[in-house]
Amino acid sequence: MTTEGPGPLIRLFGLTKGRARPVGEPFDLVAIVTTLRMPAEPTDLIPEHLEVLKVCRRPTPVADVAAQLKLPLNITRVILGDLRREGLVAIDRPRPVAQAIDERIYREVLHGLRSL
Amino acid sequence: MDFAASSQGSWQGVAEATPALAIKILIAGGFGVGKTTLVGTISEIRPLHTEELMSERSIGVDDTSGVEGKVTTTVALDFGRITIREGLWLYLFGTPGQDRFWFMWDELAVGALGAVVLADTRRLQDCFPAVDYFEQRGIPFVVGVNCFDGARRHEPAKIRKALGIAPQIPIILCDVRVKESVKEVLTTLVTYAVKGVPAEPYPAH
Repeated sequence: MTTEGPGPLIRLFGLTKGRARPVGEPFDLVAIVTTLRMPAEPTDLIPEHLEVLKVCRRPTPVADVAAQLKLPLNITRVILGDLRREGLVAIDRPRPVAQAIDERIYREVLHGLRSL
Repeated sequence: MDFAASSQGSWQGVAEATPALAIKILIAGGFGVGKTTLVGTISEIRPLHTEELMSERSIGVDDTSGVEGKVTTTVALDFGRITIREGLWLYLFGTPGQDRFWFMWDELAVGALGAVVLADTRRLQDCFPAVDYFEQRGIPFVVGVNCFDGARRHEPAKIRKALGIAPQIPIILCDVRVKESVKEVLTTLVTYAVKGVPAEPYPAH
């Protein structure tokens, strides 16, 4: 827990115009974000938006995006929701874990862990 | 921002035939039991740090004003990453220790593959809330008994009885500072979560 004063928080919520929740369908902490396209007028975007689009050219989980941008998760989520609304990023729908992990992925994970 | 023009197309088609997948694993247990150490031992990167801003409502203080973004404090969230291959990752999230952060657990637990509940035999009761939490939500978990230097050695059977957990839930004696030990804990969890049983019997130590 940090003990920063309200200053940084006020600035952060400036990034989201005071909103604490993203628009549209909720998405998970590790949902994969993928940049779909760059905007026609990149100058319309704030630097944080452009940074997300840059990072997510490689599909990247939400939590990683937040860490790379050094922004709190909620702020990152609002930004991601805005970019999704603009059609600039795709955020994958959560899949039930049992369905996402088939035998092949299970083997891969086990092998990957053991060879660390 | 010339990357927009110069790299146009370079990320088109990055999405591979297999969709990218990030598997979430929670590391829970009482304060000071070694959650952060475990994540640091196995993570390929120095644990990443982010924060969640909390409104008064989030932390359970009555707030009927409905003003979103009324933030009073932040809760740190540290997590580690293991890349299995491009597009397949394990993310390890340490759960916040304090009870007033239960709302964070709900957020973390959604879609999680499973959890490691770390236990310290000197303060076994500290992990009861975590055990209860995962049992109630049907989230697969294993118990890792962190054997600190000088920690009393317990028989897994006695720990199982003390925790009151079902016979099939794996209990692993471990040292969260040792990579091989953490690997064993995680492979046990993944197998238990996916298969419902431990893949192979582990030595009882």
